[in-house]
Amino acid sequence: MRWILLLCLSVSLPALAELDYALKPRLIAEDTWLLEGSTDNFAKANGGNIVNTGFIVTEAGVVVIDTGPSKRYGEAMRQAIAGVTAKPVVQVLLTHHHPDHALGNQAFRDVPIGALAGTTRLLHEQGDSMAENLYRMVGDWMRGTEVVLPTQVLEPGMLTVGSHDLRLLALAGHTGADLAILDQKTGVLFAGDLVFYQRALTTPNSPGLAVWLADINTLQGLPWTLIVPGHGPVANDGAPFAQMRDYLTWLDQLLRDGAANGSDMSEMIRSPIPERFAAISLSRYELIRSVSHLYPGYERGQMKRVDSAAQP
Amino acid sequence: MNWRACCVLACWLPLAAYGVDVDPGKDPVPSVMWDFYHKQMLGDAPFVFDQRVKLLAPPFAEDARQVPLEIDARAFKGRVVKIVAWAELNPLPKIVDFQPKARVLPWLSIRIRIEQATPLRAAVLTDDGLWHVGSTLIDAAGGGCTAPSVVRTQPGWEEHIGEVLGGRYPRGEFSRLRVQVAHPMDNGMVSGIPEFFINHAQLQDQAGQVLADLELFPAVSENPNLAFDIEGAGQTRLVLRDNSGNEFDAAIP
Repeated sequence: MRWILLLCLSVSLPALAELDYALKPRLIAEDTWLLEGSTDNFAKANGGNIVNTGFIVTEAGVVVIDTGPSKRYGEAMRQAIAGVTAKPVVQVLLTHHHPDHALGNQAFRDVPIGALAGTTRLLHEQGDSMAENLYRMVGDWMRGTEVVLPTQVLEPGMLTVGSHDLRLLALAGHTGADLAILDQKTGVLFAGDLVFYQRALTTPNSPGLAVWLADINTLQGLPWTLIVPGHGPVANDGAPFAQMRDYLTWLDQLLRDGAANGSDMSEMIRSPIPERFAAISLSRYELIRSVSHLYPGYERGQMKRVDSAAQP
Repeated sequence: MNWRACCVLACWLPLAAYGVDVDPGKDPVPSVMWDFYHKQMLGDAPFVFDQRVKLLAPPFAEDARQVPLEIDARAFKGRVVKIVAWAELNPLPKIVDFQPKARVLPWLSIRIRIEQATPLRAAVLTDDGLWHVGSTLIDAAGGGCTAPSVVRTQPGWEEHIGEVLGGRYPRGEFSRLRVQVAHPMDNGMVSGIPEFFINHAQLQDQAGQVLADLELFPAVSENPNLAFDIEGAGQTRLVLRDNSGNEFDAAIP
């Protein structure tokens, strides 16, 4: 009997352990709070909290920027906001459709969820399979999470909430539909995943590295005072832009040279990664992914029709 | 003993030598199916697990429909009869049967579909009758074999079947030859679409002499990508045939 009781306990205890994101909002500028995630990969240990989300407390209510990787995260985020202000959440802005940024939407069904039209289309197309993959990678943290599509189409331009003039930029380098938000009152730039800092960038939906590089130039030219990357620490200097430009240029050249030399994908993923990127988390893992996403395009550019049907 | 018997005996001697005492060593990957595949793919012939056969794949499949695989048996250069590769836990495990002849190095790159995390194997038969088995593991979210065709979603894809993109890249004492063939490579696992795939490829030199023979199987990805390393110069011809009898032809300068 005692053994049976012990057995029951040992089986049920892990299930009882509460999965808690323990979100701690950090004030990074006037009215502006950051929930900083780790720069690791999705894992059961972090529940998918590998992402930076934020919120701005205005006189007219709270603006939320990205909702995190799961229903549980979205709910924890709302609690964290309530711990900082009594003002209601009035607006959600999604920077893009990736699961770590948009699967907390369920907790914000009562407010307008704004996104670029392309973001809504991509989330509609890919949301379920991305959520499925997160269930596989982070497990029980995802329980009950379902895709909720944005309810409001954002256009580039000014969005004023309270005394905060938010400049919305429609860019494309990371997913084809990337929203960047510059708070003109505080100078805080929420760059979404157009900027990764100390964490390797991801390319599953990138239209091309040249597009991304152009976006980095656009962002750097804005009158920002603080950069909030989608992943990695905030910065008040241009270091994240310099790192992005360096990494994107290196990756583009690597793939270009590989295709010109006839290297195959499996050789490309073993390419040496320069020492100066040693501090960037997950660079090998993301190189493997980027080669899969981008290399076929580079390869085709280096081959020509050789079949007899193409001969004159 | 007459000469016929001598011949037969001579042919069997190397095998007989291995038959009793060859120690295959320890399987480097966890596999529940080795015995089955040893019988099915290698006919229970003598084998060793051999790290000199490098089977290189990413640790995980970012796209389970296009997994790059590199088979490097250059350690056995000049002694390779054939190379057979398969993915153990695929519903259609067999990938390729590759027979490099003179001038073609025992090296091949190819892209494949995988249905789930699986051990991968490349078995190299050397001229002494022994199979050398290279192994690796790949993780995957899965579904690569049963996912709907990407090719078939492109309007007018039928017009492009058999088109070949190619290139040749000098690499010191040999050159790399790469081709990509437009073909849906239907594996019969997507509802309502029967098997339709390229099942044979041959490389020839300018004089029509065979450089390599390949049998391809439905685990090979859509729009197959192949790369070979070839010694010596001269145009190379690629002849392809699919299981519907279509023949395609390309010449790589």
